[in-house]
Amino acid sequence: MRNFEYLEPTTVAEACALLKQNGGEAKIFAGGAHLTILMKQGLYQPRALINIKKIPGLKGIHCNDAGLSIGALVTHRELETSALVRDKLPVLCDAEREVANIRVRHMGTVGGNLASGEPLTDLSQIFIALDGRVKIAGPIGDRIVPVEELFIDFYTTILADDEIITEVMLPLLPKKSGIEYLRFSSSSVVDKPAAGVAVRLTLEPGSEIIQLARVVLGCVGATPVRAQKAEESLTGRRITLELAAEAGKTASQECDPISDLRGSAEYKRAIVGTLVKRAAIKAYERAVRN
Amino acid sequence: MNKTISLTVNGVERTAEVEPRLTLLDLVREHFGLTGAKLGCDVQVCGACTLLVNGKPISACSMLALDADGCDVLTIEGLSKHNKLHPVQEAFVEFGALQCGYCTSGFILTTKALLDEIPHPSEQQIRDYLAGNFCRCGCYQEIIQAVKNVRSEA
Repeated sequence: MRNFEYLEPTTVAEACALLKQNGGEAKIFAGGAHLTILMKQGLYQPRALINIKKIPGLKGIHCNDAGLSIGALVTHRELETSALVRDKLPVLCDAEREVANIRVRHMGTVGGNLASGEPLTDLSQIFIALDGRVKIAGPIGDRIVPVEELFIDFYTTILADDEIITEVMLPLLPKKSGIEYLRFSSSSVVDKPAAGVAVRLTLEPGSEIIQLARVVLGCVGATPVRAQKAEESLTGRRITLELAAEAGKTASQECDPISDLRGSAEYKRAIVGTLVKRAAIKAYERAVRN
Repeated sequence: MNKTISLTVNGVERTAEVEPRLTLLDLVREHFGLTGAKLGCDVQVCGACTLLVNGKPISACSMLALDADGCDVLTIEGLSKHNKLHPVQEAFVEFGALQCGYCTSGFILTTKALLDEIPHPSEQQIRDYLAGNFCRCGCYQEIIQAVKNVRSEA
């Protein structure tokens, strides 16, 4: 690993100023789970690391009228074991149980997970399916952006050189809504997923007709992507096995997987189809019940 | 460029002057001579370098030493007391839960963290918690048996 300067600001404004001073040569350092590996491999050689763990206010999970607020420094393990999250959005706790391994979950943070732009990951699909947003701090103040708009390409986000993700904001699910996240690993349970799919459905009041559908596909393209044709195929309908299978088939054509050690592109498309089918049925069952 | 850090290692307060790029694993192995934790995959997958930081298992190969400033670090060398093995170590011996031993310190420390959090885990909880530690000799069945049969410290 090439050496670097280690900076420890105590406010977000100070951190943004340090980023600006270093003109793209500095990296924000939170859990370090992702960053240290890339630095050891020489893929990142930052002049400075800016440790943001001494900045108060970036930790903790809170619930207010607008929904759940997750601080950027909240770790995967905190999300997994939070009683508040278990109560409000249990899909996140269930998904986190399968994220990497216990050590990475203790180190890695939610903010870092998003800011890394790593495509082989889980949380972003769920955040997008929930219509989640991120708060981004910069030198001239905060901006709030849908998670869906955060990612541009492999390991590339809309974050400017002097911006920091400070919070994820997730609206709670309205009545008659259900969500399911399913991932598939082709080697071992602790491997990165070959595909990860979130389906969220909201039903029309007093009926079992789907009013709103979100089908979000992860790990099968440069960024997580909404399968909008699959969403359309579900909207205004009542779920059946055939409809769920059709939505899965449609979704499998709306992603752009690469062939790699986790499977061929064709294989991953087939997996996406199956996961969307199963997740749609589960999300629907939950929506009817709640 | 170097920075001075203070941390507790196996109950002893230590200070060290470190380069920013030094990993926690290199700190304990090279500076403190505690070589129980091993470098394996170097990408947080295998668990051979597991240490407990503030009671939680982490991959020391990928944690900066600077990041452990002010922390309480436990290595395998800190587990036995007064020349007596820790109950998790006793169980691993009793059930033959190792062959070459390269992964063992990581498995034992992860098991300690598990039992501190969940004193009586189900087999599924054991399997989930230890899923990220690899044993290339393939002692998994014995390891599960050992973890299920750790005697309480009392």
